This record gives sequence, C-alpha cells and structure tokens, in this order.
Amino acid sequence: MAHVSVPMYWRTIPQRYKMIGQKCKKCGAINFPPKGVCKYCQTSSEFEEIQLSGRGKVHTFVLISAGGAPPEFAEQEKAGGQYPVAIVQLEEGPKVIGQIADVDPKEVKIDMPVKAELRKIYTEEEVIRYGFKFVPG
Amino acid sequence: MAIGISGYSAYIPRLRIKKEDYAKAWGSFSAAGVAEKSVMGFDEDVLTAAAKVSKRALESVPMAPDKVTRFAFASTSPPYFEKLLSGTVLYSVGMPNSAFSSDHTTSTRAGTEAMIAGFEHISANQTGMAVVVAADAPSASMWDSVEHALGAGAAAFVLSADNLVAELEGHASYASEYFGERFRPRGNPYLHDLNVKKYAEGSLITNTTRAANALLKSLNRKPEEYQHVVIQQPDARVPTTVASRLGFTDAQLASSLVSKSLGDLGAASVPVALAAALDVAKVGDQIMVISYGSGAGSDALSFKVVSDRKAPVKVQAEMDRKEYIDYVKYLKIKGAIV
Repeated sequence: MAHVSVPMYWRTIPQRYKMIGQKCKKCGAINFPPKGVCKYCQTSSEFEEIQLSGRGKVHTFVLISAGGAPPEFAEQEKAGGQYPVAIVQLEEGPKVIGQIADVDPKEVKIDMPVKAELRKIYTEEEVIRYGFKFVPG
Repeated sequence: MAIGISGYSAYIPRLRIKKEDYAKAWGSFSAAGVAEKSVMGFDEDVLTAAAKVSKRALESVPMAPDKVTRFAFASTSPPYFEKLLSGTVLYSVGMPNSAFSSDHTTSTRAGTEAMIAGFEHISANQTGMAVVVAADAPSASMWDSVEHALGAGAAAFVLSADNLVAELEGHASYASEYFGERFRPRGNPYLHDLNVKKYAEGSLITNTTRAANALLKSLNRKPEEYQHVVIQQPDARVPTTVASRLGFTDAQLASSLVSKSLGDLGAASVPVALAAALDVAKVGDQIMVISYGSGAGSDALSFKVVSDRKAPVKVQAEMDRKEYIDYVKYLKIKGAIV
C-alpha cells in the first residue's frame, strides 16, 4: 500500500473534504489539487484559496476490475465489484482524478455531469481516510 | 417569538435488499411489515451520509452555512467510539468551526435528542441557526434476528426563528430505567437484544405514551386534531401499536411510514419519517413526532406547518432511487465475511 502518514493526509484535508483550490495571484489560473508553483504560468507561488463547486464532467474513465485495484482499494473491489475511476474536468477548469460512486459502472459515459461528495476512500492505521469521490449529477 | 424548522432534507443510500433474499438465506424474515430495506455502499458511513444530507438541507434555506451557530449530530452507529464525530461533518460542509457541536450516540432516541438540543439553542439565541443531522446504519450479528430490520438513512434540519417551514409548538420527554432490550455492551461492535418481546413492548409503550400524553396535555390537544403522527419505526408494526395506544389512527401514520421500504433507520428513523411527512403536509397541518430509544426514553415534539416550501429532494424520490443486491453481496458490503 502506498503509505500516506496521518500528518501528511491531514494537510490535504481542505482539498479532499471541501474541494478548496488555489487561484494563482499572477496569472489567475485555478490549480487543483493545490501546487507549490502554479502549474500554468510556472512562475508564481502566491495563491488565494478558492472554494470550487465540485461540479464537472467526465473527461475520460477506466473501470477497475479484480486484480487491477491498488492494495488500498482491493477490499472495495472484492466487496462491491468493478468500480470506475475518472479524470473529471471541473467547471472551474482543472482536471482531477477520482472514483465515481453510486453508479452502475456500465452507465458511466464521457461528458457525463458529476459532482463531488464526501466518501470513505480507504482505511490505514485504523484511521478512516475520507475524501471526495464523484457521483452522477 | 416562533422558532422551528427552516429547511430539511433526507438522504437514502441507493442499495436495497428484499425480505425474500433473507427468507432464502435463513428460512424466515423477522422484521414485521418490512418489504425491503436500504443499505449503505461500501464507501459510505454515517459521517459521509450526514455530510451529504446536511449540505442538502443548508442548500434548501435562504441562509448561508457560515451563519450556523449550533451543530448536533446523531447516530447509533458511529465509525469511532471515541473521537469527535460532528467535527468531520461540520468541517466538510463549511459550517463555522466556532459553532457549538455535539454528538448524540447512545440510543435510537438520539435523533430527537439532537433536535431538542438544537431548539434549546435557538430558544436562547433567537438570531442563531442550528443544523441537526441524524444518520444511521445500525449493525448486529447476522445470526441475530434483530439484524433483519436494520436499514440505513439520514435526515437533516435547519432550525431557526426565520423562514419557517414548520413551527415548533412544544416538546416533552420521558426517561426511565429499563435494560435487556437493544443494547451494546462496552467493546462490542454489534447490538444485542434479549428478545423478551412483551417486556420490551412495556418499555416502548410506557415511555412513548408518557412523553406524548404530557405534550398533548400541555398543548391542550387531542390526537384527532393532528393530520400526521410520526413514530419510531424499529419495524412497520411498532408505530401502529403505539399510535393506537395513544388514540392516533393508521391514516395519521400513513405519510411517514417509511420503514416498510427502508427498514429500521435507528436514530434517523423519526427524522427521515418527519421529512416524509413534511414533504406531503399542507399549510396548517399539525404533526406529532414521537421517538423511542431503549434504556429507555422518548421525546415528543409538536409542529405546525406554516409554509409550503418543500425539500429539493423528496423522501419518496430517494426511496424510488434504488439498486437491488442479493444476500451474499449484502454480507460482503456489511463486512460480515471476515
């Protein structure tokens, strides 16, 4: 399992629980997930925090089946079966990777509208790691 | 000054299992009147459900989440036995960190316990705004017949003195000492029930009728003056028993009898059922609400509907959005196969 320590995970809580992104003070581009240096102008490291809507659409996706899931998601796959992982284009611009929940995997389509909501991602060190997944809507 | 419910919403996880699947697996199904029940997905728990439904309730009112001054969370099936639970929900929904938050977790009465805590806050701070959420997915051993009824659901209410949908007319409570019915000894993840039916019914009837009769007396009301009565639903039969003891009819129960298709929602039972009654209630309707928790206690609350503003997502729509799973998949999702 890719180990993410509790303090390291905690520092990412604003982006994972609330979709807090960054607006570059120089070029105005929106970065999500947050970066050290703006991904777009590559010169500024000054940002203001911005609340993203959590809404977007499926840019592309893949279905993860038995044997394909990383160890932290293996139990989810065994219990619930195949699950979709998508690159979602957020309405503010950035593309982000996330699972699509609450859907029959066969019904996931490119350009399908989705919105982020809080879900259990996995559990490590007996600490439930919550974060966003996307659901239809 | 009138206080009450300014907005509300319910959330029902979309998975369902039918009583026939239980009958196939065990030869019988012991939840009276329940045809199917809701099940949380593998990546859901009561905190994710509470976050979703709190957000929905806040989106239904013309007030901003950063004005919340009180947050109360209720569940009998929290993912941690020690650790603040309400903080997870409060933070993810964007309520202020300075709002006084509380967790209510030790009986199925917790939902109305949280509501009354919210109303007490608004009574004392009439410019305040409270969010109260109940989310539950109780668990028992698969070998125990008490497990059959256990479903999953959530409802949230925004309480204040502004933009009221339903005005609080009054509330009353009754607490007493009973044991052996629906309890979880320390360190045990599953609830127990000694299944002494008549004895448990005695506790249920005593606590609910005393709370409800005290409220009726203080409001100088009769049961027939209410259009809706909402009663704790450990199955679909218990509420009819309590209703008839108090002098309410099955017709008054009809708008809120969600357990037929969702099962026992624990601490969220009365809150989800109240949301269902509010969905169909007309301006001027009166709603009597009666919860019950083993151990034992009951709260009764009386509301008068003052606006026809409804939740953006109806309970009926949540009940209709579903995907059936079989018993083996149910065992896997509930983590019953180790």
